[in-house]
Amino acid sequence: MEVFGIWVAAFLTFCIYSFLYRDNPFYRFAEHLFIGLAVGYGIVITIHQGLIPLAWNPLWQAITGEGEASRWGLLNLIPICIGLLFFARLSRRHSWLIRYPLAILIGVGSGIAIPNVLQADIFAQTHGTLTPFSQIGRLSAFEIFGAILMVIGVICTLTYFFFSVEHQGAIAGISKIGIAFLMIGFGSAFGNTVMGRVALLIQRVDFLLNNWLGTLF
Amino acid sequence: MTRQVPLVLCFLFGIVMILTEFVPHSRSQGLYQGIVNWSLIISPFALVLAVATLIQTHWTRISRHTEHWQYSYVVFIGIIIMVLIGVPTFLNNVSFLSKIGLSFGPKSPIFEWLFNNVQVPMDATMFSLLAFFIASAAYRAFRARTFEATLLLITALIVMMGNVPIGDLIWNTVMAWTPWDDVTSTARQWILDNPNLSARRGIILGVSLGVISQSIRIILGIERSYLGGD
Repeated sequence: MEVFGIWVAAFLTFCIYSFLYRDNPFYRFAEHLFIGLAVGYGIVITIHQGLIPLAWNPLWQAITGEGEASRWGLLNLIPICIGLLFFARLSRRHSWLIRYPLAILIGVGSGIAIPNVLQADIFAQTHGTLTPFSQIGRLSAFEIFGAILMVIGVICTLTYFFFSVEHQGAIAGISKIGIAFLMIGFGSAFGNTVMGRVALLIQRVDFLLNNWLGTLF
Repeated sequence: MTRQVPLVLCFLFGIVMILTEFVPHSRSQGLYQGIVNWSLIISPFALVLAVATLIQTHWTRISRHTEHWQYSYVVFIGIIIMVLIGVPTFLNNVSFLSKIGLSFGPKSPIFEWLFNNVQVPMDATMFSLLAFFIASAAYRAFRARTFEATLLLITALIVMMGNVPIGDLIWNTVMAWTPWDDVTSTARQWILDNPNLSARRGIILGVSLGVISQSIRIILGIERSYLGGD
């Protein structure tokens, strides 16, 4: 079964790489199979790691009295019923009912986002930007330069994204420096992405050369 | 009823989540956790939306016989196989199926075999395919015509060279006669820790301010696009 698995994986790898020549039936087959399996996998994981432990098990325990669950588990019927309203999407006449679960999820998400984004992103990032200045006596000249550059970079980048003021004069100059910082950021992201993809390519070639050819010779 | 009630629900749940976050009392925290649990129960049902849309799209392709419609069957086969093997764990109690070696659920050997030998290799190959397209896109994008493009090109080159041992080797061979040998990894790390991080922080701060303002608009019912038409 293991050898068969290696052959299947090798066949599908070749199917996908065949796209480098041009679009062809083998690539399309692999592409559609990948989508189908990925969606199926998503359904299975959602059911087994979401619905069953969070909704079904507490409800069942509340009904049967098994385990440590109390009758409060029956309250899970409310979110289950709200969740079932998503199926209203399947009926044109009742599709408006989908707004109820959507509104609750979006409301909860927005409510969670405001304090958490404030804390985790705005305060933490500002703190990280300014912290080196509290240790300035212990920093080398190069590290101080880095800390100053960091503050300049953050201010200039933010200025570039500040569209409430027309970008003229000093603002235009600052935002130009912001663009330079952004380009360095995008260049780094690009470099890291390329290296990540090349690492995956090396891993696939290694699989074909060692694992797959290893079954032949 | 069709729009007002969802707006009220969104407002109530949003406000309760904000207030309970700032009240450290056990009841408040219990309410917070209760609502989080409720949303964790509701959200998996949203998968219905995604799956229904995918099935609808591919079913339309099949029924209209649009170009390459036959491959839509492959999508359905993929979904059905994974769901049939991964979902019905209760079938593990059927002795006949156990006797012929069939097992079900996400820990079933068949499900794991499909994941390890079909899904994971295809996932890795798809992403590795991008290495070729990134290279050709980079050729077009990186022709250093402007100062900004040059900056992007130089940064990407330093980061790439600093990531691999061969980068240091090339740099050291070429620059052996200068005092700047052995600097690629250091330069890469400095770029990542300073100018790159400052740009990222600028973006994160901007995005965060946007998230907060958009969340306030949603909770107050100013932003209603999620309710759709009608």
